[in-house]
Amino acid sequence: MDTISHLFEGLGSLMGPVPLLVILAGVCVGILGGAMPGISPSMAVALLLPFTFGMSPAMGLVMLCAIYLAANYGGSVTAVMINTPGTPSAVVTAFDGYPLTRKGQAGTALGISLIASVVGGFVGIAILVLFSAPLARFALKFWPAEYFALAILGLSTIASLGGGRWLESFIAVLLGLLLNTIGLDPLSGVSRYTFDVLRLYDGFSFIPVLIGLFALSEVFSGIESGEIGRPPAAPDKERSPWPTLRDYLKLKFSMLRAGVLGTVIGIFPGAGGTIASFIAYDVEKRLSKNPAEFGQGAPAGVAAAEASNSSSVGGALVPLLTLGIPGSSSAAVLIGALMIHNLQPGPELFTKHPEIVYTLFSSLLVANVFILALGLLGARLWIKAALIPKRLLYPLIFAFSFIGSYAVRSSVFDVGVCLVFGLVGWLLSRAKFPVSPVVLGMILGTMIEKNLRATLMMGGFSLFVQRPLSLTLLILAFASVAVPVLRERRAARKGTL
Amino acid sequence: MKRIIAVLCIASLAVLGASAAFAAYPEKPVRVVNYVGPGGLMDVTSRKFVSIAKKFTDATFVVENREGAGGLVGMQAVLEQPADGYTVFAATTSNIAKVLTSKKNVDDYIWGFEWIAMLMKDPECLIAAKDSPLNTWEAVFKDALEKKGAQIWAGPAAGGNDHLMAMKVWEKTGMSAKWIPYSTGPEAMMGLLSGQGAVYVGNGADIGGREGFTIVAIARKERSPKFPDAPTFTELGIQGLEDEAMWRGFAMKKGSPEEAMAWWEDLLKKVAADPEWREFLEKDGIDVVDYGRPEFNAQVKKDIEDATHYLKQYGLIK
Repeated sequence: MDTISHLFEGLGSLMGPVPLLVILAGVCVGILGGAMPGISPSMAVALLLPFTFGMSPAMGLVMLCAIYLAANYGGSVTAVMINTPGTPSAVVTAFDGYPLTRKGQAGTALGISLIASVVGGFVGIAILVLFSAPLARFALKFWPAEYFALAILGLSTIASLGGGRWLESFIAVLLGLLLNTIGLDPLSGVSRYTFDVLRLYDGFSFIPVLIGLFALSEVFSGIESGEIGRPPAAPDKERSPWPTLRDYLKLKFSMLRAGVLGTVIGIFPGAGGTIASFIAYDVEKRLSKNPAEFGQGAPAGVAAAEASNSSSVGGALVPLLTLGIPGSSSAAVLIGALMIHNLQPGPELFTKHPEIVYTLFSSLLVANVFILALGLLGARLWIKAALIPKRLLYPLIFAFSFIGSYAVRSSVFDVGVCLVFGLVGWLLSRAKFPVSPVVLGMILGTMIEKNLRATLMMGGFSLFVQRPLSLTLLILAFASVAVPVLRERRAARKGTL
Repeated sequence: MKRIIAVLCIASLAVLGASAAFAAYPEKPVRVVNYVGPGGLMDVTSRKFVSIAKKFTDATFVVENREGAGGLVGMQAVLEQPADGYTVFAATTSNIAKVLTSKKNVDDYIWGFEWIAMLMKDPECLIAAKDSPLNTWEAVFKDALEKKGAQIWAGPAAGGNDHLMAMKVWEKTGMSAKWIPYSTGPEAMMGLLSGQGAVYVGNGADIGGREGFTIVAIARKERSPKFPDAPTFTELGIQGLEDEAMWRGFAMKKGSPEEAMAWWEDLLKKVAADPEWREFLEKDGIDVVDYGRPEFNAQVKKDIEDATHYLKQYGLIK
């Protein structure tokens, strides 16, 4: 009960013009930053960090958290409209959001991604406020063996990503894993395939690769197929482009499930929103009555992706506030912000400055309401992007891709990376290889390698089976690949008989 | 009236011209290049330094972040600029080891710089989980001998400053253990809490605000006023670890104007005496220093020798 009354006190302290303006500013910057490819949530938070030096610690933190939350939503806008995930965690949103837009249902995709973001955000915050202590204890049960198993479980989602093209998906995910070996070895620091190019020491920057694989390759395919000359799909004048309340209600369980999954996966440092959205998407696809719709524009796919990546914000704050350990790169920037204000992140914050913690919690709730309001207003504007003729849109995407790639590390090298991966993505989709397993392989590769080797150093392969959590996760991962494959085989055999 | 204004204009122009003629360093903004992202330790330090330096100078500072390759990208970015004193590299101990482990040329990447201002020494600490049975040096050491090299020590990157510290402890005490590198220091600490490792090598600031940790040994001459319960290595009977620290400081490209380097040395003396700066560092148990070129260059030289010796001994470089 104490928590609730503290929360109301926190809310009360926010009800002035200055705090509300600070949150509003944070949400605006967050949405715009998230939507801009090349600016990830952690960069948006980092960019605004210096502005908070002059603010009170509570206000500074409130603004940065508002940015963090809003950027996770903002990333979905470009993912839906132009197949360019503005943030890594919006990759999965593009799987079904963009097909919806191509079918002339951009309104549905935008509406669902907004509502799912907001619902997911609320779920994440609620879990953060109510259950952060037991969740932190759960997080401590994770050893490298469990992180490895979790990553393998994430990898197993390719079984459903490829839409039945097992071999192609498998090859694509291997490509992603192989690309991940470029750079400094995460354990011993030995350089691998870097050819002494300094820019390759950290491997490929993820964002340029992402923009190339998704946005540029789409442009190339569009040019090749002659789509560039065609007028954009005319929106249906008769019907409202926006989903109805009933449409949203139909997705309520998807959003809640994805919200809980996103929060729980979000608490593990290094896993975060991106893996959460892949797993939540996979779960919804498996539970769905018509899984074939996924990838072709399934509203539940958009809802799962967005709800889970927004709820992961609440999750990432759990270890930050209970253990002083950041659950994501954005949360790491928040620790820097606390330090600048001479505050120590961690459990001491609760005892020494409870007012800051509860102001922070309540500000997340307020920020979520602002995201809803600004998102509803903005959607009317963003939906117009579907009306831009392709011969104008493609050059714009090209320009934004380059700017976004450059912005990540101020590096021309990354622009080249983006261009090369644009070509790779185009060739892959020409050959009917799915692109998303490549991305998944790149996200999970380092996590798999590092934790596998750390486990082997700690006690060998037996640790994977001796530790119950790791064993459970590995069995789940194995089953999630084996079941669909076996089922399809059985169906095929029946068909031939 | 018009005439008065005209005279004033001319007079002010003359003053401006005169001051331009005698303009001293810095006459344009100084870029401080960081090798970590915004919010990282060195970033926070350089921004704090700059904000306090503004009490003593009108100079404009621009803090930049050039991340990548453990500092090599940032170092290269500074070395590519002219040696005019307007680009400063914000360095830490780990940059030195990084140059060595990635087999870059020491003469280019380390001695291509003049090390002008060393701000602090953050004493290296061995940290254990408070509730673990291994929460004193004696217990850790006994357990290490029993496990015959299988005891796990956690920390950030292999070959980094904390790993080097671990190797020094192993060599001086004759024990052996395994180093498991985590992506970040905090993740390694989380590993310690969950019972994965026995010891985390880091600095006093790491345990601030976090519950459940204790310092089993600190590499300082005397006990730290901030952590009075933490024994020094000397007290524990281990010699040669009285002064092991992570430092942070500023470096300039070799051949920069003497005037610019002297200006920074002078600025550091002023900042180091500032109470706000001292509070910022001392609250974390960091020792404030104001080393100029002679002491800082000597420190870097010692670091190179140390790192080369231990990295070779433990097989990280040939």
